[in-house]
Amino acid sequence: MYTELLHALPNVLGFSNFAAVVIGVIAGIVVGAMPGLSATMAISVLVPFTFGLDPLVALGLMAGIYNGAMYGGAIPSVLLRIPGTPAAVATTFDGYPMAQRGEGGYALQVAVVSSSIGGIASAFALMLLAPPLSKVTLLFGPSEVFWVAVFGLCSIIFLLGGNPVKGLLSACFGVFVSVVGADPIYGSDRYTFGFLELLDGISIVILLVGLYALPPVIDLLEVPLKTDTDTNRLGTEPIWRTLPRMMRFWKTWLRSAAIGIWIGILPGAGGSMAAFMSYNEARRSSKNPDDWGKGEPEGVAASETANNADTASALIPALTLGIPGTAVAAVMLGGLLVHGLQPGPMLFRNNPDVVFGFMWQFLFGAILLVLLGGSLATNSFARLLNLPRPLLGAVIIVLMLIGVYSINGRMFDVYLMLGFGAIGYLMDKLKFPLPPVVLGLILGGFAEENLRLALRIGRGDWSVLFANTVSQVLVLLTLAVIVGPIIKRRFFKKDEARG
Amino acid sequence: MSASDKNRLYRPETLTALGIIVVAAGLLVPTAALQPISALLPAAMLIGLIGLSVALLVRDQRKAGAGDIPEQVTTAPKRVLLAFLLIFGYALCVDFIGFYVSTAAVVPLVAYVFGYRNPLGLAIATVIVLVSIYTIFDLGMSREFPVGRLWKN
Repeated sequence: MYTELLHALPNVLGFSNFAAVVIGVIAGIVVGAMPGLSATMAISVLVPFTFGLDPLVALGLMAGIYNGAMYGGAIPSVLLRIPGTPAAVATTFDGYPMAQRGEGGYALQVAVVSSSIGGIASAFALMLLAPPLSKVTLLFGPSEVFWVAVFGLCSIIFLLGGNPVKGLLSACFGVFVSVVGADPIYGSDRYTFGFLELLDGISIVILLVGLYALPPVIDLLEVPLKTDTDTNRLGTEPIWRTLPRMMRFWKTWLRSAAIGIWIGILPGAGGSMAAFMSYNEARRSSKNPDDWGKGEPEGVAASETANNADTASALIPALTLGIPGTAVAAVMLGGLLVHGLQPGPMLFRNNPDVVFGFMWQFLFGAILLVLLGGSLATNSFARLLNLPRPLLGAVIIVLMLIGVYSINGRMFDVYLMLGFGAIGYLMDKLKFPLPPVVLGLILGGFAEENLRLALRIGRGDWSVLFANTVSQVLVLLTLAVIVGPIIKRRFFKKDEARG
Repeated sequence: MSASDKNRLYRPETLTALGIIVVAAGLLVPTAALQPISALLPAAMLIGLIGLSVALLVRDQRKAGAGDIPEQVTTAPKRVLLAFLLIFGYALCVDFIGFYVSTAAVVPLVAYVFGYRNPLGLAIATVIVLVSIYTIFDLGMSREFPVGRLWKN
């Protein structure tokens, strides 16, 4: 089962594939360090540029960005108390007080080492768990695949937390977008309104760039942020000197990595939840919990290990079942589709070199974090905080246009992307979750195709959808995902009422 | 209709729900012309959108009835509107005037309007952006960008 994993290694060590990971990590740290920009946005902007690239080069860039951005978010968290990414909120609790007492450099080194350890653990989890799970999913037929898609959509809506009505609305919107274009069986036009450009459907890339890249750009321009922190003097020692001091965090690293991996696998959770849970657990187990929140480096270690440990593990359900664990994983699924790689059971059979190579790239990305984000680089990356945000916003707008225009060489796609961007901005502000839209677009067509195939096999008999045990289990899991949070909420309300 | 009743209708979630209902109902009409199996998923989604929007509307109006004050969509509506106008304007300019001319104008314009006003910095940044794009995409990847519909004829 794991021989294919070893076979993929030499390919990843090729110059272009390895260089892609290095560039991705650096770009990820830069993006993560800029408050308001996220890994999701960076990968969305990147995806259209990867069209002409070898799939492994493209995926290496994405893996590097994901790893780099998760650490990069710690830089403004520590220096400015502004989390660079949502997952870095918990890092501010102790990172910023450390910076205030002149230990900002050490805080960033703890962050980079912990991020790297979390990322390595997560990559190993992906390597160990995804191949056997993919073997199981290979046994699935059309009706099971249909239920997997329904389960995936429901889990991301109901486990995401927040308002389930808004989650369902987002998912319905995504699925509706997936049906635009020619009908896959009859060829009849569906919602093309006479535009030939819509006959092939709406490219996932157009939706991704619109939903995930435009709203942060508007946010960059909406709120003027002044960064007047002196980031030139962090008091950074070489990392090899500070490393022995960090070894006392080993228990926190282990615990936080386990929490991060688990949260990553759960659909709908994410880096911020992993970081908060891990921070709380580490504080609970600490001998001096009163020092936490006042500059305890172990707090930075807990948060950063967990938020990086959920990166590769979020891809376990994404690669094997087509259900992403996080928003970034959803965007990465889009990246895979761009290269003709359909996430799900067949991915491991049809493209083992690419999928296993991708896993190695995650591991190398995590290891490279220490080398690239280490002592010298930490100072340089911290200076990024002084880049003017309006200029950055303008450059991203240009990149978005180039990327989307390059897909088919037509302005129609650009206008469509801007339309999705406006919808995405409103959804973001009104707290409609965005991942269900992407998942709806990915799984909508997939679910419809398999539903129709199953009905053809069953000669129009709908009971074929419930005919075997796997389908029945998936239906029960879907119901559990829907009913579970409702029951949980009722219990919480009862507990609160009892006082 | 009293002023408070009007205010209740202008709540962001209420307006969103109403908007979704109108658009989804309008989009339901073309499904009648499709084969039943072809119309199944789009019709289900549109009906779902309408039903869920009604639920959102009712809940938001109940909140309004209980005196809840809705969250503001944006803290700086003028800046947001301006940002959208500039971005949409940029896309139109690229389409009609051409990519390089529009980009040379828009990068410094957006940065200047939103607060970065160092002329030397703006000039250097614009040149770097244009030269990088030309080198990477035009020379390196042979990508062609719009030359502008106005100059085509």
